[in-house]
Amino acid sequence: MECTTKDSADRRYSYRVLVAMTLYLVFLVPDVWIFRHYHPAAGLTWLLAILPALPIIGVLAATGLYLAEVKDEFRRAIMVQSMLWSIGATLAVTTVWGFLESFAQVRHIEWIWVFPVFCFFVPISSALVRWKYR
Amino acid sequence: MGCKTNNPAVWRFTRRFIVLSLLYAVFSVLSTYGLLRWHSTGIVIWLLAVLPAIPIAMAVLLTGRYMREEKDDFQSAVLVQSLLGGIGATLVVTTVWGFLENYAHFRRLDILMLWPLYLVFVGISYGIVKARYR
Amino acid sequence: MKNRLRVLRAEREWSQADLAERLEVSRQSVNAIETGKYDPSLPLAFKLARVFETTIEAIFSDEK
Repeated sequence: MECTTKDSADRRYSYRVLVAMTLYLVFLVPDVWIFRHYHPAAGLTWLLAILPALPIIGVLAATGLYLAEVKDEFRRAIMVQSMLWSIGATLAVTTVWGFLESFAQVRHIEWIWVFPVFCFFVPISSALVRWKYR
Repeated sequence: MGCKTNNPAVWRFTRRFIVLSLLYAVFSVLSTYGLLRWHSTGIVIWLLAVLPAIPIAMAVLLTGRYMREEKDDFQSAVLVQSLLGGIGATLVVTTVWGFLENYAHFRRLDILMLWPLYLVFVGISYGIVKARYR
Repeated sequence: MKNRLRVLRAEREWSQADLAERLEVSRQSVNAIETGKYDPSLPLAFKLARVFETTIEAIFSDEK
């Protein structure tokens, strides 16, 4: 995305993602602390576990809203294509890792890492897609 | 995609995708067998781990190629919406499950389930998208 | 898709950025359409036609 952007959809997206990521940290840090020092009751465990997942869902919702709101259809196409390539890369990488986990004693990849891995690939694929259209 | 379709691009894509999915299953079994029985070491472990990811990577490329070949804009749009829905659902579910796994002692799922899970969600999204356009 | 965007722009001495502003899209979008790497949607094609005060067929050609 260009640095000078007049499209309000871009600004709204950045703002929403920033808020979500802040909430994520706000929820996650006390969560981990509570689990380390206390043994919450069963029902509370669920709630505390889901809490940090909510901002992540917020980021996905913000992305969905961006795709719906952005007026520049070319930008939308780039975002869509980069997301598709990203999920492909994520699937391939986690599959390789899954096999290595069982047989090469690499660190267990927890499911919460799927989203960060996906996010890692998005800027890379986005750059590649834009380069293709240069 | 109805059962009756005179679109050759769709047929080619579907056929090849099914073949690749079968290859994935076969390679998965082969790799698991190989890794268990042969007590492989070093580079062989990595090669066997990468093997099942190859059909996945090819499926990703195949999807990209289909989208370039497909002349029917509507079919493209339906597929894209299905894939995006699949991505959103997968990322939400894996994140929530991941947190529940870590903090609420939910049962651990093999990360290798990610690819089939994604396909399931794409299928569900496809149904929803098609229903919306009925 | 082949198009005459560059010619039409030159006639009016518009840069890609100028055209982008009139169309309310990014300069990269204009470049992608101009180089034939991206086909605009129907609404955007109509916008282009209006901005250049001509028809879509006069701008774009789907001949191979």
